Amino acid sequence: MRYIEWAVMFLVAGFGIGLANMVGFQVGFMDSLPGILILLGISFVSVVISKVLPLKLPVIAYCSLLGLLLASPISPCREFVIASAGKINFTAPLTMVGAYAGISISDQLKQFVKQGWKMLLIAFLVMTGTFICSTIIAQLSLSLTGVI
Amino acid sequence: MKKEEYLYSGLGERLRTEWKIYLAAVIFICIADSIGQIRIPLGPGTLILFPIFYSIILGILSGPQIGKIFKKKEVKAASKLVIVCICPFIAKLGINAGASIEVVISAGPALLLQELGNLGTIFLSLPIALLFGLKREAIGACHSINRETNLALMQDMFGPDSAEARGSLSVYIIGGMIGTIFFGFMATLVAATNIFHPYALGMASGVGAGIMMASATASLSAIYPQMADQISALASTSETISGIDGIYMAIFVGIPLCNWLYKKLEPTLGGIHDKFSRKKGDR
Repeated sequence: MRYIEWAVMFLVAGFGIGLANMVGFQVGFMDSLPGILILLGISFVSVVISKVLPLKLPVIAYCSLLGLLLASPISPCREFVIASAGKINFTAPLTMVGAYAGISISDQLKQFVKQGWKMLLIAFLVMTGTFICSTIIAQLSLSLTGVI
Repeated sequence: MKKEEYLYSGLGERLRTEWKIYLAAVIFICIADSIGQIRIPLGPGTLILFPIFYSIILGILSGPQIGKIFKKKEVKAASKLVIVCICPFIAKLGINAGASIEVVISAGPALLLQELGNLGTIFLSLPIALLFGLKREAIGACHSINRETNLALMQDMFGPDSAEARGSLSVYIIGGMIGTIFFGFMATLVAATNIFHPYALGMASGVGAGIMMASATASLSAIYPQMADQISALASTSETISGIDGIYMAIFVGIPLCNWLYKKLEPTLGGIHDKFSRKKGDR
């Protein structure tokens, strides 16, 4: 995608975040705006970094790292970033993600229905196993290192 | 560097092709967020329905197989848009992590170690898949949580028509359809056992699938509101690490481990399955 395409798509996404924050959480659009602009700014810079750097890392890895840096104690605008992003409710950016995700898998519905109960059970096991095994190791290592 | 191939001739063509998708997304947001969060106690856990679930369902219903509002081409376009749209969300989680940086740093060793937990599922799911009579499909199905990168990896390693890639695709499709809601519910179930610290649960939510992590984290935050910041900080850090190391974990540990277990277990477990299915056939 060209930069201009990314930029316009991000603006649409930003509108979606503001709308969800307003409809779902009664946060006015102007109150959400600084937070939205910060999130979109981080996202766009991440796209640029991922295109410029030869490293093969997913864009979202840069989004996460940049967000972390901007909100960490070394950042000069830490307070502002945290306060602005705090106005955006946790699930507000997700509704639009869900809409797109739903459309993008809508042509797999028949294939999904065709999966037998065996596959369904195995998929549940895979998901459950991933979560529980991670939880057990996390719990053990957190208590070994004295965090909890 | 390889020259990037563009899907559209320019922004104008993209907007002309995709405007209906944006409009639908906006309408879905209005519907989904007006309904809001619904909590349904279910057994020891709580099924917490978030607007994202309604918008996923609305999206599926509007596709070419039911509502026919969208055609194949738009379906393809939407999957690119998911990546665009999840970026600001991940940035928000990154900010949460930066705000709770002390927790993230103190949990550093645990964060790295629990990456291995993502592989633990192999020991649970592979033997059962073999007992069910699956052959090489089991390797694809069980080697990881099977999101986009894993699917591509299996197709690349074994070929798009291979049994391994078929198994991977099955779990990918099921995960896409119901994984998000399942993950949120399962997180509340595991939390209800009261065995685990909310930090551990938060960390485990980062499995390498952004939308599932979001669902689990949202559910956990609703159960432990006083620790919501730390939970999402740990979840997003763990998710970021999984996103980076996931593919290497699969190539160098997950798939070899599956192959090894398959060789050890398949003769016995496959035999048990054959015996049972033959008995059924006799009747």
